Amino acid sequence: MSDVISTVPEKNGTAHAKAYQRRASAPPVDVFENADELLLVADVPGVPPDGVDLRVENDTLTLFARRSETKDEPPALAREYDEVDFATRFRIPAGIDTGSITAETKNGTLLVRLPKTAAVKARKIVVRQGSGD
Amino acid sequence: MLTGWIDFDDTLRTLDLLQRRIDRAFDGWADPAWTRERPRHRARAAWPPTNVFETKEAFVVKAEVPGLAQGDVSVSMEDDALVVRGERKGEVRDGYKVHLRERASIAFTRKLPLPGRVDAEGVTATLENGVLTITLPKAREALPRQISVKAV
Repeated sequence: MSDVISTVPEKNGTAHAKAYQRRASAPPVDVFENADELLLVADVPGVPPDGVDLRVENDTLTLFARRSETKDEPPALAREYDEVDFATRFRIPAGIDTGSITAETKNGTLLVRLPKTAAVKARKIVVRQGSGD
Repeated sequence: MLTGWIDFDDTLRTLDLLQRRIDRAFDGWADPAWTRERPRHRARAAWPPTNVFETKEAFVVKAEVPGLAQGDVSVSMEDDALVVRGERKGEVRDGYKVHLRERASIAFTRKLPLPGRVDAEGVTATLENGVLTITLPKAREALPRQISVKAV
């Protein structure tokens, strides 16, 4: 588990999911970091762009992704996955500008960008060429 | 008698303690970077996970392929099987450090034996929000037929 951004251990069906009265599981997640941001990528197949609910409370980011309603499904001949929603939580490390977190969905994956605060961004000092006089 | 029980308890407790110590020793031994980057979900038997449904007129195959765009997946009919091929490329981005990797990059071929006779010409496939849905209409001769009873 990452020490930079770590999932808050909780059993399936977070408080959030319970509020929706639907079953949820934690999606697989990638976490990347560069000088400007933390980038979180989660697999949320079946979730439409408006099905994502992200909340920031203190240092916790709660993600809830709801699948589109399936009409009455015919009986399954084979079933390798359950159409459950996705719910998980992350502890946001210090130095993140929590007010500027953005998210987008694309092909069933969710990208969450957590920009670093200006103070934390790599302080690159540009060395300027002296004029030589 | 009573002391015997106490001794027995103590043995269990000691064994338990030993077990914990061993576990902890291995925790320290395993390279954290390596364990971290092993995708948790690789244990799945096959990718993508697939459900198959049957309606009156068709078989419907649904597969979870998050991250795949239209050009990343192909569907074909080969002999008596439905074949789904695709590739999900790794998303390790330039200039980014990896902290956690649970989403596998994977190239896959899944061959699903047809659950019944289908009309190969009428097969359709759609990709929406990372879910691939393939509809295989049943062959005309496989549809249930009502036979009218004539009075003679």
